[in-house]
Amino acid sequence: MKEKRDSPGDLLQGTLDLLILKALARGAMHGYGVAEWIHQTSEDVLKVDEGALYPALHRLELRGLLSSEWGASDNNRRAKFYSLTAAGRKQLTQETEFWRRMSCAIARILQTA
Amino acid sequence: MFSEWRNETWLRIKALFLREKLDRELEEELAFHLALREEKNRADGIEAVEAGYSARRQFGNQTSWKERTWEMWTFASLESLWQDLRYAVHTLLKNPAFTAVALLTLALGIGANTAIFSVINGVLLNPLPYNDPQQLVAMKQNDSLMNIIDIQRQTRAFSQGGGINLAQLDYTSGPEPIQIHAGYVDAGFLETLGVPPLLGRILSPEEDVKGGPRVIVISYQFWQNFLNGDPQVLGKTVTLTSNDYAVIGVMPAGFTPPEAHVDIYVSLWVAYPEAAPYRGVHFMRSYWRLKPGVTLAQAQADISSIDGRLAKQYPDNEGTRKTLLVPLHDFMVRDSRKALLVLFGAVGFVLLIACANFAGLLVARNVARRQELVIRAALGAGKFRLIRQALVESALLAIIGGAAGLLLAKWGAALLLSLKPAALARFTGIQLDSHVLLFVFGISLLTGIGFGIAPAWSASRTDFGESLKEGRSSATAGPSGHLLRKVLVTAEIALALVLLVGAGLLIKGFSRLRSVNPGFNPQNVMTMHLQLPVARYSEIPRQTQFRRELLSRLNSLSGADAAMITDIPFGPDYLNHTIVIDGRPSVPVGTEPEVQTLSVMGDYFRVMQIPVRAGRGFTDLDREGQPLVAVVNETFVKQFFPHENPLGARFDWARSKPPHQWMTIVGVVQDVKYWGLNRPTDPAVYAPFSQSDESWRRWMTLAIRTPGPTPGLIDELKKQVWSVDRQIPVSDIQSMNDLMADSLAQQRFNMLLLGLFAALALVLSAVGIYGLMAYAVSQRTHEIGVRLAVGAQRRDVLRLIVGEGAKLAFFGIVIGFSAAFGLTRLMASLLFEVTPSDPETFAAVALLLAAVALVACYIPARRATRVDPMVALRYE
Repeated sequence: MKEKRDSPGDLLQGTLDLLILKALARGAMHGYGVAEWIHQTSEDVLKVDEGALYPALHRLELRGLLSSEWGASDNNRRAKFYSLTAAGRKQLTQETEFWRRMSCAIARILQTA
Repeated sequence: MFSEWRNETWLRIKALFLREKLDRELEEELAFHLALREEKNRADGIEAVEAGYSARRQFGNQTSWKERTWEMWTFASLESLWQDLRYAVHTLLKNPAFTAVALLTLALGIGANTAIFSVINGVLLNPLPYNDPQQLVAMKQNDSLMNIIDIQRQTRAFSQGGGINLAQLDYTSGPEPIQIHAGYVDAGFLETLGVPPLLGRILSPEEDVKGGPRVIVISYQFWQNFLNGDPQVLGKTVTLTSNDYAVIGVMPAGFTPPEAHVDIYVSLWVAYPEAAPYRGVHFMRSYWRLKPGVTLAQAQADISSIDGRLAKQYPDNEGTRKTLLVPLHDFMVRDSRKALLVLFGAVGFVLLIACANFAGLLVARNVARRQELVIRAALGAGKFRLIRQALVESALLAIIGGAAGLLLAKWGAALLLSLKPAALARFTGIQLDSHVLLFVFGISLLTGIGFGIAPAWSASRTDFGESLKEGRSSATAGPSGHLLRKVLVTAEIALALVLLVGAGLLIKGFSRLRSVNPGFNPQNVMTMHLQLPVARYSEIPRQTQFRRELLSRLNSLSGADAAMITDIPFGPDYLNHTIVIDGRPSVPVGTEPEVQTLSVMGDYFRVMQIPVRAGRGFTDLDREGQPLVAVVNETFVKQFFPHENPLGARFDWARSKPPHQWMTIVGVVQDVKYWGLNRPTDPAVYAPFSQSDESWRRWMTLAIRTPGPTPGLIDELKKQVWSVDRQIPVSDIQSMNDLMADSLAQQRFNMLLLGLFAALALVLSAVGIYGLMAYAVSQRTHEIGVRLAVGAQRRDVLRLIVGEGAKLAFFGIVIGFSAAFGLTRLMASLLFEVTPSDPETFAAVALLLAAVALVACYIPARRATRVDPMVALRYE
């Protein structure tokens, strides 16, 4: 078994929030869907307790960045679907821009070194 | 930003009412996730049972994540705090013995601190009950009204100022004639203190002149006690020492001048016009108000330059002026600051010991609860949550302990004040006010959190996995918990030693003080003060007639042996005169030696049992018209006749102009203490009342010795006084023993309190060391059983256990010794004839503490030796 990182603190909270927002940019999704999306798109680089997703989802919902709705899943089970609100979209744009600039800056610094 | 916050709060409030729904939905949401993950795992080819486990592993600690998500919707920290609190109450109730010991420890520590703090608060911290009291200063020296008026005119530093002279006036309108306390003041006095009257007004400058109207301002107590609180009192007349005064104002309840109790305020110009114009008679205490922005140093410079001008202007009277200003508060607190701070330090030690005990209890308990903690951690309780739980519990204990302490303190502070230390008697504001409550709350929380954190931390550091596997038998104190408890006990012993040494020094000093010979026998002597009214007793022959008549009546009472003197030892009054001795080279005016001056009538030395060392005492023949005689004390002889026979030598008051009326020394008596047992004796001169030429000395103190306690004596004495003159007030009726005891009140106060703290410290640290050893023994039952089984003697076991305690006691005593050595020096000024490093006290205290510590170890150790090896081996 690979060494497991056991604390959600290892993954910056802001990063997790951003990933969730990004995942939901493509449309409404339930928690499991978000987790799967993160696994796949990050090619399992980001290892995190899947449970950590839920406090983050609920926090974002409370902050008004996400809205939620109970609906039927693909296999016709009741599931809670999250989608971005207008505020969520705005937040995503801002955060994405911030990260883009940040990673450019870091890349530049690493190149000059 | 704000609307976002509002929205969020609203959602949380809504969630409060939708608890079940929220919970159900969250449950469902997580179950859905796990179900999908399990399906996916199975689809990936993982076998059925393993697929479920794997899903759960990937999810992490389900309970914990659920709880954290749940917390998003709640006022999480508040709610879980409430849970912790309820849990804490529950567990405390489940362990009544632990809870009771912890609470008692804290209540004692906090209660003692609160009692002392409430006194410190009242005396040192609370502002004086005057307007802007921080601007008030006192002049250290008394001054005359004339000088005060000049200073008022010339000053640039003071906005206001005024003086007061304390005097007695006779109030004869009540059932018995009594003396009341009058303040002879100028108009500036009440104005400077700045407290407005309850009724009417204060004296105006127009009334404060020679020949001014006879008006008085009265105290609230006088108004209530003597005038029945008459609401129409303004303008009414009060007769004092044969003069009628109109009441113009009533001061509010609780108002007193800074240093004394006063019943009525009257202008000095009106009440005592003869004394007012004398510049050289410095008999007024004066208080001044600094102008805004003026510092004490600037005011001192100002007053010094005024001193210089006055000295130049009036070289005879004021040539040596040197006025010192002191902030009024400092002036009033005087030496009690030192004593209070020492006591506060001491009581702080008591609190530390109580806290150490408390922390020790917590450590022991956390060890006992290790299993529970382990299970909670395994079920998903975070480390932070565990620490917080422990802290909530200790803070809860501390706050309840603090509340109990507050009750103790309320009772304790009353007890403190009933000991009547003189310096504290001037302060009226000693009570449990908001400062005190805040103080209690503060130290309770600090105690709970500060001393709960180490035990909580050591509990949370358990390796939970290991503990769980090993089960109960490993539930012993980890090395860190054990070490912590050892450190705590060592610290307790060290602190207790410091306190015991401090108390020991005070007790030794006090017993030295008590054994000082006052120079007379105070048993069975009653004293009372009389003052002859000036109107009918202005002439000496008239005074002598009264005195002689009274004494003969008193001496005719069966069993009574009476005499009189101007000022009784340990009484409030003291009079000095300067003398010149016949045949000695004359000394410059103003530098003549001073002696205490006393007038007596009757066989005072026999009544007081003051031994006559040489020559004789007075007889009835030493009276008016006979040669002037005097008796002196031994200090007088030592100082003025070190190598000569003083008998037959002659002296006179330095104030008399030649030709001198020499007084001949006919006897020498033993020294008598006047100010206090810890003060040196001044040279003193006794002379007969009947030969005095000072008609203003119209007062006297009766000394009546009886064979034993005599009920009804005081009434009989009063009756005799009033049978001679119905209008003579009697005051200060006290037995000589009480007078002496009052003079020791401050020392007794210090000693009793520090002694009490030390006893408390001793008990607490004994309990602490007993607890540690008893616990250690119970933990080592198994080991002891093994030792016994393989042939160890019970003696060896005893030595093993006691030795461990003895080691701690030894370290504690060594550390305490060095601390005490440094700290007791701070209390040197509180000690009488004992050095702060008194070796006897140190040795005695160390032995006492060692003995107590050994007993505290021995009891559990003995129990250890009774262990039955078979039972011990099966233990657990």
